[in-house]
Amino acid sequence: MEEIKKQITEFIATNFLFDESITLSVEDSLLETGVIDSTGVLELVAFIEETYGIKIEDEEIVPENLDSINNIALYISQKLSQVSAGQAAN
Amino acid sequence: MNPTIQRSDDPTSPRLCSRCILPETFPNIKFDAEGVCNHCRQEESALAKAPAKKADYRRKLDDLIASIKGKAPSYDAIMAYSGGKDSSYTLKLLRERYDLRVLALTFDNHFVSPTAFDNIRAVTDALGADHISFSPPWPLMKSLFRITARGDIFSAATLLRASSMCTACIAFVKSLTVKMAIEMSIPLSAFGWSPGQAPIQSAIMKTNASLIRQNQKALISSLPDTMQAQVKSYFIPEIYYDLYRDRFPTNVHPLAFFDYDEEKIKIELESIGWRAPTNTDTNSTNCLLNAYANQVHLERLRFHPYVWEIANMVRQGVMPRAEGIEKIYSPQNSEQVEYARKKLEL
Repeated sequence: MEEIKKQITEFIATNFLFDESITLSVEDSLLETGVIDSTGVLELVAFIEETYGIKIEDEEIVPENLDSINNIALYISQKLSQVSAGQAAN
Repeated sequence: MNPTIQRSDDPTSPRLCSRCILPETFPNIKFDAEGVCNHCRQEESALAKAPAKKADYRRKLDDLIASIKGKAPSYDAIMAYSGGKDSSYTLKLLRERYDLRVLALTFDNHFVSPTAFDNIRAVTDALGADHISFSPPWPLMKSLFRITARGDIFSAATLLRASSMCTACIAFVKSLTVKMAIEMSIPLSAFGWSPGQAPIQSAIMKTNASLIRQNQKALISSLPDTMQAQVKSYFIPEIYYDLYRDRFPTNVHPLAFFDYDEEKIKIELESIGWRAPTNTDTNSTNCLLNAYANQVHLERLRFHPYVWEIANMVRQGVMPRAEGIEKIYSPQNSEQVEYARKKLEL
């Protein structure tokens, strides 16, 4: 989980964190602080799918899953657990 | 300074990525020893899988259309139609390839080129599509553009991909299109985003009510208090999120996954009466505000507001690098810049 947080933080810092006045904590809302916008959310989705090999369904693209570094890391961990459980069952 | 990184002909111009066209002035950009930027490196693995992904999205659109076609009361799709090249081509695709009942919606920001209006009429007539034009009062649009010309009120992330003035205008376009789709029970909302404008992951996507709600809130709160009340009626009302939850449309922007060649697109469009305007800038085929919006953005942020989009297209191989450089690093036409500046009394 900590490794995922680190990777997500790095992606956001490289791609979106250009306003030096913004200090981002892992609990801050990425949309409300203006760090990312709706297109940015979709770029984040593309990065997560590519990096972690998971498929994010349309209905999962909600602030509850993707609006803070903590939420994103938790969501990815849960998706990876589901994938592992699915593979174990097969 | 890395000696392998290219400069364009002008010695005062910035160094560019040796693969795409992003400049050294682009926020947080890094170049490696080969002069390739971090964005190109980051995209390498996704680009390798792009052909398969595009084929997958074409099948996905075929399936989606088969499931909705002819079932809605009036229209299968509402198209955000600027009269420009990309939205005209998308409209053609929806009508000719899929034979959808399309309502074309033009947002008239008071800077639409007269040639674009001629094109709108010619194309909708040729394709047999219904068309409506929506225009807020000029004093409101003038105030909005003056505010966005004077300061970058939107988030820094948004300004990577578009100028402040464009962002304000597009916010109206996106909201009105989805709002009208909800009100008329239209299942698809279509946009002519180029392959560089938005990620393929969003090319077919059920509009996400909670994401729209949060994004809209962030956008409106960026505006001065006096303007927030004036623009609210153009955005999706709070009550819709519960009352019409099931009517939120699926957004599609097919140019992300169909073959994209600007010259071929223009030839196809000319066969149905579309003509390339001669009075717009190199990055627009409909808007007379764009050159000024680009100029303001360049002066303030030191990178072109279209460079992200065009760099993506160069990286994807849908636009030659030299053409991308020409589009982005040519000076803005001073007559067009002055036209908009005078109209806005700035």
